[in-house]
Amino acid sequence: MTARVCVLYFAKSAELTGLKEEEVAAVPTPISSRDLWNLLLQRHPRLQTLQDRVVLAVRQQYVAIGDQVAVTLGDRDEVAVVPPLSGG
Amino acid sequence: MAQALATLREKFKEQEKEIAALREKVAQLEMSKTPAPRPDVKVTPPTSLTAKSSLSNEDIMRYSRQLLLPEFGVKGQINLSKTSVLVVGCGGLGCPLAQYLAAAGVGRLGLIDYDEVELNNLHRQVLHREENQGQAKALSAASAIKSLNSTVQCCPYQLQLSPENALDLIQQYDIVADCSDNVPTRYLVNDACVLSGKPLVSASALRMEGQLTIYNYKGGPCYRCLYPAPPPPDTVTNCSDGGVLGVVPGIMGCLQALEVFKIASGQGSSLHQQLMMFDAQDARFRSIKLRPRQSDCAVCGQNPSVTKLVDYESFCGSAATDKCRKLNLLSRDQRITVQAYKLMLDKAEPHLLLDVRPLVEVDICSLPFSLNIPLSQLEAKNSDDIHLLRERISHLKHQIAGISQPPVFVICKLGNDSQKAVNILEQMSGLQVDSIIVKDICGGLMAWANIVDPSFPQY
Repeated sequence: MTARVCVLYFAKSAELTGLKEEEVAAVPTPISSRDLWNLLLQRHPRLQTLQDRVVLAVRQQYVAIGDQVAVTLGDRDEVAVVPPLSGG
Repeated sequence: MAQALATLREKFKEQEKEIAALREKVAQLEMSKTPAPRPDVKVTPPTSLTAKSSLSNEDIMRYSRQLLLPEFGVKGQINLSKTSVLVVGCGGLGCPLAQYLAAAGVGRLGLIDYDEVELNNLHRQVLHREENQGQAKALSAASAIKSLNSTVQCCPYQLQLSPENALDLIQQYDIVADCSDNVPTRYLVNDACVLSGKPLVSASALRMEGQLTIYNYKGGPCYRCLYPAPPPPDTVTNCSDGGVLGVVPGIMGCLQALEVFKIASGQGSSLHQQLMMFDAQDARFRSIKLRPRQSDCAVCGQNPSVTKLVDYESFCGSAATDKCRKLNLLSRDQRITVQAYKLMLDKAEPHLLLDVRPLVEVDICSLPFSLNIPLSQLEAKNSDDIHLLRERISHLKHQIAGISQPPVFVICKLGNDSQKAVNILEQMSGLQVDSIIVKDICGGLMAWANIVDPSFPQY
């Protein structure tokens, strides 16, 4: 099974990918959060600098990268990459 | 005779009047000479807040519009007046936050900032005024707050929050608002709040984006639960590098004030275990549901390894400020000073000046004879740009026949990106472009403006 998801990039991740959002087709599902992150890394190797320093969310719900729990994705699901902002 | 006496008496009276007026003037001037309240440079405990049991007629008049809200009412107002809030940073977030909390009648505001007001702060740090330039931000904010609501107890602290003073300070307050502008301070405030059991209402903003979360509140996560490791320092963009639209921290500071207000008045925040994000470009808010507190968190977990405050600057590898860092990537012979470069220009020595700033900065100001290729395009080895560079270098080589390696000087705003560009160009030298000698201009255009050409704009 695969799904076509919409990935949203915030803050530094938008800068690194040059994108605010993109559609990613044929994402295997269910998928572990680690594999989902690796899939994004493959598309945008520059995201590597955010490794372990980023919040990943699926359908506006936090998923810990590294959790064994598999994530089930559906078409048009939102995946968000949210690095922290520190400015003020 | 009598006539002369009367005239003299008249004159005497006039002089007496004049002397009285002068005396009054002197007294007035002496009064105004009494020094303004000085900001605390050491942490002294403020006097405790007296718990009001009812509102005065003046309170009722002043706060009437919010007293009418059933969610808030008299009870909420009295709760608010008993609450103390520590504002960490009197900048783009801290100014609107402190302003609204003071206007609403919070009991006490602690205002921390080590910095002074600069002209480039005023577009977003809306408590400060033109005439406050050079003044301590904590003091400038405190005087604005005083004139807005004199019944609010206001404690300015002109100091940098540090592992030495953070617990003392935070323990004296009920709620902490993180309005800081750098990563080490965010970890410090988080750990201090966890160790002293205070809710941390944390906002941040950069460019056209903002984030808001409440940490260490109602079983929700702390900052370390979400971000156990700090980002590599060279990946952090600050407002002086990346820019920020003033209204964005304004919006985030107002939302932050709203959540503080709800906690203080007793309604409680609905944002716990949530990360709210604001995208100013799309005028869109999103919320992410976060995990609860993590049992393996280094500071709020079951077996914490952080049981006292540590050195956050070394933990993060960066200074607790949003001022730009100075990189040192090159050897001395790979760099020249702006003065040496000026001498070279005066002698009209042929060379190429490469400006590696982003286009948006080149639009602000540039040296007229420079070639602009942004660092990001050099890094990405953009083929059009490489082609342009190759042509310019080969043209230069023809111009100075006899010199095997034409000189290329690289400049940016402060001399950090230009050093990275020198490394890239050295790798390209003799391969993608003719063999060149590359040097970085130390301190960049801001050094040029400071030392060589005072008429060159600074930003």
